[in-house]
Amino acid sequence: MAAWLVRRVAASIAIVFAVVTLTFVLIHAAPGPPVPWPPDRPVDREVAAAWCRQWGCDQPLPVQYARYVSQLARGNLGLSFTLHRPVADALAEAIPNTLLLAGAALLLDFLLGLALGVYQALRVHRLPDIVLGNATLFIYSFPTFWLGLILVLVFGEQLRWFPVAGMTDPVLCPRVDSLRCAIDLLWHLTLPACTLGLVGAAGTARFQRAAMLEIAEQDYIRTARAKGASAWRVVLRHQLRNALLSFITRFGLALPFLLTGAVLIETIFAWPGMGRLATDAILRRDYSVVTAAALLASTLVVLGNLIADALVAVADPRLRVPEQA
Amino acid sequence: MLGAMRAPLTVPGALVLLVAAAALGSCERPGGCTGAYCGTLVFVTPAEPDILLPPVSQQVGTRDIGDQIFLKLADIGLSTNTVGDEDFQPQLAERWEWDGPLTLVFHLDPRARWHDGQPVTAADVAFTFDAYNDPAVASPYRNELRRLVSVTARDSLTAVFRFRERYPEMFFDAVYQMRILPGHLLRGVPRDQWKTAPFGRQPVGNGPYRFVRWQASQTLELEADSTFFLGRPAIRRLIWRFTPDIQVAVTQLVAGEGDALEYLGTPDNVNRARAAQHLTIYPYRGSTYGYLGFNLAANGDTTQPHPVFGDRQVRRALTMAVDRARLLKSVFGDLAKVPPGPMSQIWWIWDPEIRQLPYDTVQAMRLLAARGWRDSDGDGIRDHAGQRLSFRVLVPSSSGTRKQYARLLQEAFRTVGVQMEIDEVEPSVFQERVASGRFDAALFGWSTDPSPSSGLVQLWTRSGFGGSNHLRYDNPAYDQLVERATGGVVTRDQARATWRRAIEMLNDDAPAIFLFAPDNVAAIHSRVADVKIRPDSWWALVRTWRIPPDRLIDRDHVER
Repeated sequence: MAAWLVRRVAASIAIVFAVVTLTFVLIHAAPGPPVPWPPDRPVDREVAAAWCRQWGCDQPLPVQYARYVSQLARGNLGLSFTLHRPVADALAEAIPNTLLLAGAALLLDFLLGLALGVYQALRVHRLPDIVLGNATLFIYSFPTFWLGLILVLVFGEQLRWFPVAGMTDPVLCPRVDSLRCAIDLLWHLTLPACTLGLVGAAGTARFQRAAMLEIAEQDYIRTARAKGASAWRVVLRHQLRNALLSFITRFGLALPFLLTGAVLIETIFAWPGMGRLATDAILRRDYSVVTAAALLASTLVVLGNLIADALVAVADPRLRVPEQA
Repeated sequence: MLGAMRAPLTVPGALVLLVAAAALGSCERPGGCTGAYCGTLVFVTPAEPDILLPPVSQQVGTRDIGDQIFLKLADIGLSTNTVGDEDFQPQLAERWEWDGPLTLVFHLDPRARWHDGQPVTAADVAFTFDAYNDPAVASPYRNELRRLVSVTARDSLTAVFRFRERYPEMFFDAVYQMRILPGHLLRGVPRDQWKTAPFGRQPVGNGPYRFVRWQASQTLELEADSTFFLGRPAIRRLIWRFTPDIQVAVTQLVAGEGDALEYLGTPDNVNRARAAQHLTIYPYRGSTYGYLGFNLAANGDTTQPHPVFGDRQVRRALTMAVDRARLLKSVFGDLAKVPPGPMSQIWWIWDPEIRQLPYDTVQAMRLLAARGWRDSDGDGIRDHAGQRLSFRVLVPSSSGTRKQYARLLQEAFRTVGVQMEIDEVEPSVFQERVASGRFDAALFGWSTDPSPSSGLVQLWTRSGFGGSNHLRYDNPAYDQLVERATGGVVTRDQARATWRRAIEMLNDDAPAIFLFAPDNVAAIHSRVADVKIRPDSWWALVRTWRIPPDRLIDRDHVER
């Protein structure tokens, strides 16, 4: 297991490095220069040249790459010319916000999805299953941005139950430093998290229902029932536990979404996270920020897969890799 | 549909509503502030500053917020007249005088203080000029100060500006771009590090509002300096909420989560804001204009004339083929004007009487036929010597307005037998292609400051080759008139007449079809009184706005 883990970690580092290199090359190869100034203002040639010298974009690409890799090796992600600050500082502010939003959404997604899937499986082909099946299919077919706009319109603009955008009330809670402001943060989190979480939960519910029904046909379930195990024990101990394998894999694959999946929702709800940061950087060719975002996303992808594989191995002894392998 | 959406919300929805109710209850905390100095104004805007160090940035957000923190020596009036000094208002300088034709002397107001309590001195003014001119700072405003030779401190309250030459906008150049900086705080920061200086995220200024906090991509807060030497601002707290785009900003405004938005954009947004009872609409002159520009050089080869647009008569015909007023109505409704040349409404040379080519499709078709462009194969597109009268237009995909215009122009040209194909590209690609001359035509939109000089020189004279004169328009007679308007004449009337002749000459050459000069429309909460918006810098006069005590709402009362 340890050797397997070492090999996986080494491969993961190589993959991340390859992604960073590819991103660096691609973003520089993309047509269009960096856009440091408003595009609707004429810019003096000398000023533009001085700017380029100042930020190092006048150097050949291999030189820029070598400098970037050398910085990266020392843990320096560089400076952002659009934000006029170190990229690490900008990421340090954006990442917790995205983690909060995506974490809340994933929690809703998996808890609600799991509960609905199990409930449907227990009521299979009865009215609740049919109603929930259609409802989840209906919601699953929503584009998330569209659902977000509808929630903003209905619950934000019309009913005014929830704020339409932002993380906190800037007058009452400029900082989240009290219980009142923590509640205010949750209040602002509700619509964006529901937008992401509901669509995800609808998908998870359908997967979970199918997995539960597949397990229900297995011999060991029949045996458990024949042995007189209670219905709840059969469901929780035998059926649900075995059906969790696909759930864990799905959860591992969802990990990168924690940082990257909420781009549109962050825009609709003015949520100051990684999605907004990366989108703005791509449009203005802020190379340092784009590459750092790719670095983070690729790290999470390989990490997500690693964790999923490890969890599956823990949950299913049949899949454990022999030590000598 | 909504019913279906609510089904899975039933259980967690109840929890969420409980939390929301708790939040609502706990957030309603009527504060104690009452009286004339209690207002809290929340701006919603997509324009977040990149850094609050004025010489380093040209972003609109930096300008708007910087205007509250940093003062100029004097500032332009509501007329936005840039010639002479009569329309300028004192700020840090309480008065000024000319000491000969090339020397301008400013006397600083002795009451002016930095927010850390230090006095504002003439040494700060000289330091500021030096910083704006330092290549290590790479200030985008450096070019605007090129006709100033030096700024020196005669004594602690007297700053002396010396110019290279005499020209109509000397005073404007001396005061408009430079926000005076605190030398005592910035002198120790290496100039090549100003681009990321911590000062730029926590500035100390001398204006009516002092910096409180800035949370990136979220909010920025300023509080009134109650000891401000030009009078205590009536609104005690200004908060900017940053949004990714204008639609989100409008939604927040309409939902009551913001108080002011400087630019509503589309007519739809204006109508949304009009329908909100708590908002008042303020139209004002816009500072942008847009046009379809013809590349006079061959696509990708600036040494050769363009096979279609190199012909002046063809350009004139294309211009006459477009009913600009009708297009304007389709896109903007009543919220824009047809510009009488390459100009925005805030320029004092704006004059609808300037001579322009008329809308006349018959004459347009006659001109095209006279130049040999006829539809010889009956396919509806004119051709000449085996070449079809066809071209491609670049449009930035980020501009809904220009994308709409592209389609309308396509149809207008089709009716006179001209084929126009549209290339929508992202803004940085647009910039790269126009800068390298790899285009036939492009839909441009420019934002301007109040002076016509720099824009009209950079975009339309030979000195802009390799810079912003992407169309490579070159008319020595026009250049000569521009030189006279910006340098040789002194009075405003003389300058206006010369500008008029220059613009008419350019209109006759038709290097572009000037399509729109939008009106801006701001929406501001109705409780705010004495609102004045300066078209070149929207919130420059906020310190004179007020909220009467009987109109205060919850957020105005909040104490922290």
